[in-house]
Amino acid sequence: MIPIVAVPPVPQKGFPSVTSTFLSVPLSLYVHWPWCVRKCPYCDFNSHESVPQEATYLDALIADLEAALPLIWGRPIISIFIGGGTPSLMSGATVDALLAALRMRLPLLPEAEITLEANPGTVEAARFAAYRDAGVNRLSLGIQSFADAKLAALGRIHSGDEAQRAIEIAQKHFERVNLDLMYALPEQTLPEAQRDLATAIATGVSHLSAYHLTLEPNTPFHHAPPPLPDDDLAADMQDMVEETLATAGYQHYETSAFAKPRQQCQHNLNYWGFGDYLGIGAGAHSKLSDHTGIRREARPRHPKDYLADPVTRQWQPVTTEDLPGEFMMNALRLTDGVPLAWFSERTGLPLSAIEKSALAGRQEGLLEVVDNRLRPTPQGRRFLNRLITLFLDA
Amino acid sequence: MKAPILAPLSLFWYLSVQHIRNFSIIAHIDHGKSTLADRIIQRCGGLSDREMEAQVLDSMDIERERGITIKAQTAALQYKARDGKIYNLNLIDTPGHVDFSYEVSRSLSACEGALLVVDASQGVEAQTVANCYTAIELGVEVVPVLNKMDLPQADPDGARQEVEEVIGIDATDAIPCSAKTGMGVEDILEAVIARIPAPRGKLDAPLKALIIDSWFDNYVGVVMLVRVVDGSLKAKDKIKLMSTGTVHLCEQVGVFTPKSLPRPELRAGEVGFIISGIKELQAAKVGDTVTLVDRPATEALPGFKEIKSQVFAGLYPVESNQYDSLRDALEKLQLNDASLHYEPEVSQALGFGFRCGFLGLLHMEIVQERLEREFDQDLITTAPTVVYEVLMRDGSVVQVENPAKLPDSQKAEEIREPIITTKIFVPQDYLGAVIMLCESKRGSQVNMAYHGRQVQLTYDMPMAEVVMDFFDKLKSVSRGYASLDYEFKEYRAADVVKLDVLINTEKVDALSLIVHRANAPYRGRELASKMRELIPRQMYDVAIQAAIGSTIVARENVKAMRKDVLAKCYGGDISRKKKLLEKQKAGKKRMKQVGSVEIPQEAFLAVLRVGGK
Repeated sequence: MIPIVAVPPVPQKGFPSVTSTFLSVPLSLYVHWPWCVRKCPYCDFNSHESVPQEATYLDALIADLEAALPLIWGRPIISIFIGGGTPSLMSGATVDALLAALRMRLPLLPEAEITLEANPGTVEAARFAAYRDAGVNRLSLGIQSFADAKLAALGRIHSGDEAQRAIEIAQKHFERVNLDLMYALPEQTLPEAQRDLATAIATGVSHLSAYHLTLEPNTPFHHAPPPLPDDDLAADMQDMVEETLATAGYQHYETSAFAKPRQQCQHNLNYWGFGDYLGIGAGAHSKLSDHTGIRREARPRHPKDYLADPVTRQWQPVTTEDLPGEFMMNALRLTDGVPLAWFSERTGLPLSAIEKSALAGRQEGLLEVVDNRLRPTPQGRRFLNRLITLFLDA
Repeated sequence: MKAPILAPLSLFWYLSVQHIRNFSIIAHIDHGKSTLADRIIQRCGGLSDREMEAQVLDSMDIERERGITIKAQTAALQYKARDGKIYNLNLIDTPGHVDFSYEVSRSLSACEGALLVVDASQGVEAQTVANCYTAIELGVEVVPVLNKMDLPQADPDGARQEVEEVIGIDATDAIPCSAKTGMGVEDILEAVIARIPAPRGKLDAPLKALIIDSWFDNYVGVVMLVRVVDGSLKAKDKIKLMSTGTVHLCEQVGVFTPKSLPRPELRAGEVGFIISGIKELQAAKVGDTVTLVDRPATEALPGFKEIKSQVFAGLYPVESNQYDSLRDALEKLQLNDASLHYEPEVSQALGFGFRCGFLGLLHMEIVQERLEREFDQDLITTAPTVVYEVLMRDGSVVQVENPAKLPDSQKAEEIREPIITTKIFVPQDYLGAVIMLCESKRGSQVNMAYHGRQVQLTYDMPMAEVVMDFFDKLKSVSRGYASLDYEFKEYRAADVVKLDVLINTEKVDALSLIVHRANAPYRGRELASKMRELIPRQMYDVAIQAAIGSTIVARENVKAMRKDVLAKCYGGDISRKKKLLEKQKAGKKRMKQVGSVEIPQEAFLAVLRVGGK
């Protein structure tokens, strides 16, 4: 449970203050691993194909964390997410050393969720047991598809068979496993998408993320788009995904996230609930509240720059104008939305700041307030971009 | 020969006027008028190289220094000819487009001669021909010049032959030149002196000065460029504009070199400017005659016409709260464009806006572009329409400038539409396609004449058809080789109907059109189908219908968008994703909300885009 203390905020000029409540805003830790064996043509994350420098990077992460400690002093950590890149390129020993170092410096809640992202290759699967022993309690596998032709089109280096075996091994060691899947893949048909999904469901994993493949700017796919299904077919696929997963007992709790009961990803829920997070590692972002307001931080993106100086960070305050939009970009992704009170608690702004936009959203049938929760209507979930733009100061 | 007996002042004038040459340049767009004008100005020392550049790049600064707006190609120049004498050459600018043929005729009537500039690599174009005919009709001496001789594909003999065949003037002495390299510029100046007559006129007659052009200057008010035909004028004279009878005090006279240079006096034969504290450009109409209050001319110079708007369109702000800002912009624009007319109008679909009158489609495009670029206006422009005359059953005649206001057919006896005579020049290869196009636009052939490889087609056509998309189609069927000139002929009874567009069953008044009954169903189908392409998918289905009265003639459907959502958003993504959404929001701002449907700006002009493959 996330503790909430509802104290009326004191509106101030300039940047909003969340003095009275910031200690009650949950805090997560994100650790970024910036290397991949091969960069996929659709990926716009901060990943690099250079040779990983495992030991040096571990030292840098610790130095980074120590420099950041004054910003989060005394606040418990509710979850850790080790993402990338391909964090499963790390040896079990490195992950063990990393988590030991984190535990020594941070008040980690005993039940904290600790997720590691893994590639479903043969080499990585051999390390899953060691990750479990190090303290990782949730594994997220980047499956994308079980069809070899689709995996090749996506530039993935694993095969469908490898993926199946990796899931088996993962489930041997972890109760909580997530599979990342993508649909609307190059030249994909509806039956093909159905087969991928059925294969995933048959494994019985507790969590599935099903993403519509998106052409992100600054990726090879964006420059030279592959032949993708048209909008209507892609929407048919999404309908199919949602119906099939509902039948199989998965709750659709966020735009692209599906979970068996009580198996939602706590770390991501904290992002979407506009909670705080400290990000360490190359290119990692933080969002932190304190008595002066809310700040966003970013580490140097390139591993070379980060390793040269892991402690100096770019930061900037989130302005009053930006806060409603940023809050809604996260909160309204959740099927159930968020308690209305969280808006003031986590932005420091009065509800009047969003009154006009919220009314417009309701007018258009995109937004509703039910049981004191602010949540998107089914139509609002489909047209989330439109709903969010109502809250943007542009 | 006996010299006439003259007073000393007149004698001096008589001698000096022999050294004046007033001329303009007739050329098709891109055939090098500006470059040649610049070369001539440069050769005559009107501007140094540095100023030449400054004139182009930094005219605002010059304006500030001199206090008067400079028109680059109107210049009083001094040229020392090969005979050793110094001549005063007045180069008079002419506007370059078919919409401005009246202004062209006024500029030409202020001259004794004109250089006909023909691109030696491309030959004669319709517009050049039309202007050249105007010049010949006005008794202006035409001196052909073959430009772009530096190009390898230049064909001077072909171009000469074409000038002779098409225009019917002797081109044996056509002067080869290259405005780009400067070749032949001096030969041109010598020809101006040798072949163009000196001005005639009477210094001692009452003042008659022709307004060639007028514009608004922020510092001094309206500046009038005039050609003094008879008499003379100096500062402190009381002047009268003969079309309106309004009286003003002449504050300053002078010439452009092209820098403005005050002079004590302007005299018969000369070209120069008058500043007289006029605040409104409409008061100084091009073609009007200026005379003196104390000793007025008995009749004005011939040829003055009140120019009427030929094409009307609605201009609306995309955001209704920008109405005042649009009105201010139009007000400012009108200061410098007397041919722009506007009045407030209300549309059910678009709210408050203006019905604007233009000289033609190009003029409309210029105004639209200036409003957007110079005044930063986000505009919805409705489809252009011509002015219809409606004879009502009660015998009255109503002018209709807005399709939505076409009277009910029960009350109308007859609807009349404007007919124009168009002259089209087209190479033989494209003749068939152009004839088919003209016929499809309800044109009736008046004449067809072969001039070498060129054909001159004359068609009477309903102006409404030309206004819609004729220029673009003409260009496309002739691969850009056909050129066109037109003039108003008459109003003729026509079987036209109002075509309405309904969005989600609501009639959108701003999308109504007046079309010929025979074309109406086809037009409706084309229009609806084009609108379907232009209206983006929205959260709900959008039904587009075209209707004549209560009969639906076309139906299209924009299927609802299925989803609009970002697949991923986690902690680090936020700023990038936000930029994406902000862009989306900015895009929506440029659309007009009509009922629950968002219609992009270009959809209101969809009718101009139909059939353009």
